[in-house]
Amino acid sequence: MEETFGNYSVIGKAMPRVDARAKVTGEAKYAADIELPGMLWGQIKRSPYAHARILNIDTSKAEELPGVKAVTTGKDFNGFKWGWSGPTRDEEPFATTKVRYQYEGVAAVAAISEDIAEEACDLIEVEYEPLPGVFDPFEAMKEGAPLVHDNRPGNICVEYHWTFGDVDKAFAESHLVREDIFQTPRMAKGYLETPAVVAYWPGPDRLVFQGAKGSPYFPYRILARCFNLPLSNVRVIQPFIGSDFGGTKNDMTHCDFAAPMLAKKTGRPVKLVYTQFDTLTTDLRRHPMWITIKTGVTKDGILKATYVKAIADGGAYTRMSPLTMFLTGTCMTLPYELPNFKFDAYNYFTNNPSSAAMRGHGLYHSRFAADVQLDMMAEELGLDPVEIRLRNAIENPEPGKVYETINGVHMATCGVKECIEKVAEATNWEEKRKTKKVEGHKSYGIGFSAATYNGGTKLSAHNACAAIVRVCEDGSINYLTGASDVGQGSDTVCCAIAAEVLGVGLEDIDIKRVDTAFTPVDPGSYGSRVTVLAGQAAMNAAEDAKRQLVEVAAQQFSVTPEEVEIKNRQVFVKSNPQRNMPWERLVRIACYETPGKVIIGRGYSTQGITILGLADLSKGVGDIGTNYSFTAQAAEVEVDVETGVVKCTDNSVIAHDCGFPLNPPAVETQVQGGSYHQGVSAALYEEFKMDQGQTLNPNLIDYMRPRAYEAPMTKVLHVVTNDPYGPFGAKEASEGSCCSAPPALINAIYDATGVWIKDLPAQPEKVFWALKAQKEKKQRKK
Amino acid sequence: MKGELKELKLTVNGKPCELKVKANTLLVELLRNELKLTGTKVGCLDSACGACTVNIDGKAVRSCSVLALQANGRKVTTIEGVADGDKLHPIQEAMVEYGAIECGFCTPGMVMSAKALLEENPSPTREEVREAIQGNLCADEGYVKYIEAIEIAAEKMRGGQ
Amino acid sequence: MIGDFEYFAPKTVDEAIALLSKYKGEAKIIAGGQSMLVVMKRGLLTTEYLIDIKGIAALDYIKYDEGEGLRIGALTIHRAIEKSPIIQKHFRVLSEMEQNLATIQTRNWGTIGGNLCHGDPAGDPAPVLIALNAKLKLAGSGGERIIEVEEFSKDYLEVALEPDEMLTEIQVPTPLSHTGIACEKLMVMKGDMGVVGAAVSITLSPKDGVCKDARIVLSNCASVPLRARGAEKKLIGKVLNDSLLVEAGEVASTEASPPVDVHGSAEYRQEMVKVFVRRAATKALERAKAA
Repeated sequence: MEETFGNYSVIGKAMPRVDARAKVTGEAKYAADIELPGMLWGQIKRSPYAHARILNIDTSKAEELPGVKAVTTGKDFNGFKWGWSGPTRDEEPFATTKVRYQYEGVAAVAAISEDIAEEACDLIEVEYEPLPGVFDPFEAMKEGAPLVHDNRPGNICVEYHWTFGDVDKAFAESHLVREDIFQTPRMAKGYLETPAVVAYWPGPDRLVFQGAKGSPYFPYRILARCFNLPLSNVRVIQPFIGSDFGGTKNDMTHCDFAAPMLAKKTGRPVKLVYTQFDTLTTDLRRHPMWITIKTGVTKDGILKATYVKAIADGGAYTRMSPLTMFLTGTCMTLPYELPNFKFDAYNYFTNNPSSAAMRGHGLYHSRFAADVQLDMMAEELGLDPVEIRLRNAIENPEPGKVYETINGVHMATCGVKECIEKVAEATNWEEKRKTKKVEGHKSYGIGFSAATYNGGTKLSAHNACAAIVRVCEDGSINYLTGASDVGQGSDTVCCAIAAEVLGVGLEDIDIKRVDTAFTPVDPGSYGSRVTVLAGQAAMNAAEDAKRQLVEVAAQQFSVTPEEVEIKNRQVFVKSNPQRNMPWERLVRIACYETPGKVIIGRGYSTQGITILGLADLSKGVGDIGTNYSFTAQAAEVEVDVETGVVKCTDNSVIAHDCGFPLNPPAVETQVQGGSYHQGVSAALYEEFKMDQGQTLNPNLIDYMRPRAYEAPMTKVLHVVTNDPYGPFGAKEASEGSCCSAPPALINAIYDATGVWIKDLPAQPEKVFWALKAQKEKKQRKK
Repeated sequence: MKGELKELKLTVNGKPCELKVKANTLLVELLRNELKLTGTKVGCLDSACGACTVNIDGKAVRSCSVLALQANGRKVTTIEGVADGDKLHPIQEAMVEYGAIECGFCTPGMVMSAKALLEENPSPTREEVREAIQGNLCADEGYVKYIEAIEIAAEKMRGGQ
Repeated sequence: MIGDFEYFAPKTVDEAIALLSKYKGEAKIIAGGQSMLVVMKRGLLTTEYLIDIKGIAALDYIKYDEGEGLRIGALTIHRAIEKSPIIQKHFRVLSEMEQNLATIQTRNWGTIGGNLCHGDPAGDPAPVLIALNAKLKLAGSGGERIIEVEEFSKDYLEVALEPDEMLTEIQVPTPLSHTGIACEKLMVMKGDMGVVGAAVSITLSPKDGVCKDARIVLSNCASVPLRARGAEKKLIGKVLNDSLLVEAGEVASTEASPPVDVHGSAEYRQEMVKVFVRRAATKALERAKAA
């Protein structure tokens, strides 16, 4: 039997996803599957240089090639620049004067076939003056280093300095102070569906855009500004999305500008599909980060202070780096009590492809450093890793109370202690940790970690999710939302929430993909915000519709509206359930009886805790999340001590406090996926290898993504805390486990071998040399 | 002659097809562009991700790594040919019911690998299930529920509960 | 994307050879194409004429005779070798090698002959076949000839086929009695190309247990599968023990000149040669003793 939660009709139990059937039969259409009559194929011309001035672009030969219908360069965009926020607009649709990373787009072609478009790109002649570049933050920060942006001295992209409490005093008073440097790798998002788009102009001032965008209202806004169109004339229709994980599928790529421009020039639909090579060389990546962390603890292992200095490689353009650095700092005060905290962040421009948001955004780097260092300190103090975590874990606030961190982060629920306890119990931690297992050249170890992640991320500017519940006269329901499901399962839970509120079944609700012509505007699918915020919108919209129907029912039953209940498609008087009518009948009466009604429910998300208002990125104060999920994880590794190959075994358990599991299996897949694909993988397998801005492993053979044979059969335990700020108590699922996996793995490798791998990933060669060095050190001691 | 269209006869999802293709057409291009069977996905075109997996004569093969002409005279099954009308195949049913599917991009390939496995080996061990989908990259769901769903489907197909 | 070519699908070896002779030097053969198409898709290989031999049914067979040994048709797919009861019984190491060769999708379409003719020094079958003392039958317009697998690889992606020749059969002799053969490679994930790999064959004298013959072949350690002859010498004529196997690994490591790429430095690979030669040799020795 599947586990169920709460006493509900629809939510809290396993439900098949609303889109699963379309996906499992191959009917689901993704952007690359779209074909329109008269469609042309587009192709991007890219720079071979990582840093070069553009002296001239000659497109004449390409234009003359038979089959070529249009060529565009950056000049066609009349100086338009865009960026993540107003002040950070530093990127052109196509580079006009200078390229800042290898394979940056400089032009694009539309032709009658893919082959001709490709051939035409080869015929575009670009004259470059190669420039010396900077390829990591340490080169970038050097005095006199080449500038990536001429107007950004010192190549500084983002800089924050926050102090909360008095860390120096706290260090002086600490029993033990440790400083370590940790490093996180440059990672791909890992989606298989490459960026793809089809665009066309049904009228001279009307654009239709069907792209692989996880946040369709990003291109909606950016393209309106770019082509000087009213928002009402920009129609973004979202196909199914083959995963996102932040960045590239939120904001723009070259193809997202090229397709509309080429379609405008030719009057025909234009399709562009990136290859995996394009994706792996130019798409946004996780920031490589160098984290220096200094922590002081009492002799009982109680955290007194932490100082973090984070240095990041932001790549060529700002993109979301200001948010990345904020997130890297803000949750250092979770999930453990921390009375003093100081944070210095430096994000540098380099001539590498831009870095940006990725599952576990920001917290992933600093929580990795902090949770590994916690194990190091526990060992020095002779404390068990679980014990030191329990001693520092934030208590779940009493109902009605709110916990405030020193940097003004607030939460009404915190299940981290319960998570830690559950995982310790499920893994038989104490026993397991004591038994050292070695089989031949294989050594086994188990590691522990805890993490947090913000759900329902709130940024400045437009931040609300909205939903429309349209009740049809036969009782069926159209659910309209601008919030988008990129695979996480939010369409299903939003429909389920609406069904629960209305007292109908999930099968009564129909949802379609986002279409900006019909669906309400939405910020997008990022920051684990959809279930929390769009879920609230769903709840509110359904309640609005229900209120309208209940009024009609109350008249029919001659009772007050408060006396009417709807459950399992039956409408009845609470005090006398014999007085009832079927849902369809109520809807029909409401729609047809004079004067008749059109039942449309509208709902918006709320802001959650608003004690300090929205987070101030530069000061580091305030809430980025509507609420916060918590995770504890134990992972076992098998280390081949002769080769350095590490494998995460099936003895892996994660307890996750997602507030309330609306669809428990979906929470489990999110948690397992977040843990394996972006967590375990970051710890063991994945990293872009670079040389002077060139990506050395731009294919999925050399860039290792985690596969099924090595997949740990991770067990997920649900911790229910019923957060008052989430719909039916829900918080986020998946980004927390993405943050808890790397420290658990690294701590496990230490348990197995006695070697700390502080720079991810623990690829075999790295582990091998570390083991060899350790062995030689031991021999020298003898 | 180079560039000349070559005749190709094959069976796709039970239907005989006769068409003319350019010799350098990949099977996945034939399926998606000519036959409009877009359920078969292109992830990498580099024989690495398995999103384009189809069954050729009952075996799981990557359609990006086969020339269309090499399928001459063979039986090709794509994701569109797996369900029996409205009735899902037990593998599809298990994946839907068990919550294995997230973004769905790798799903068609996953189903095709699982189908080939269970037709050859009705009682696979967990190792064998893992091995069967080792060539199918997933980006988001961690493989756990795919593995379990395939095991559930195997049991169903054997006539169990 | 793939450069255009004129395509032929001969149904017999003779037809294929006639085409090869006709387009001497300008034609390429495709079998399963599992490696070749990757290279073609990346634009690294173009050809005027492509001769698709995948449809030559006569080259798809596995035959065994105790005297003659094993005969594998060049177009036998990897999966058939992996799953063949005959091979599992008499040439277990071949089946084991296939189990870790890429993924099932590749093994379901890719052929043993195609793999050998691709000439990748990181390929799995050649080292094992060399350890097995196998031979290849090549057919050309001048008739057939037999060549040692060891002689077949000439350089990186280059094999000893004349422009009008094709590989038709792999011939594996029945190992001498008291022979054990094993292969091991360094994989981060199952099915990876070996970062390095080793195939080892050890034959013991039934009388005194002395190592009569040893063949040690390394993959991804040179431009061709590499016989570590120095390491073999360490073993031949001796009663083998663990430390001799370790020494063999050390010697093999000095014979190797592995590549440097994103999967590892040359130094690391040299260290790994020690490990994998020892591991394969240990297993081979156990098997020789049990045989």
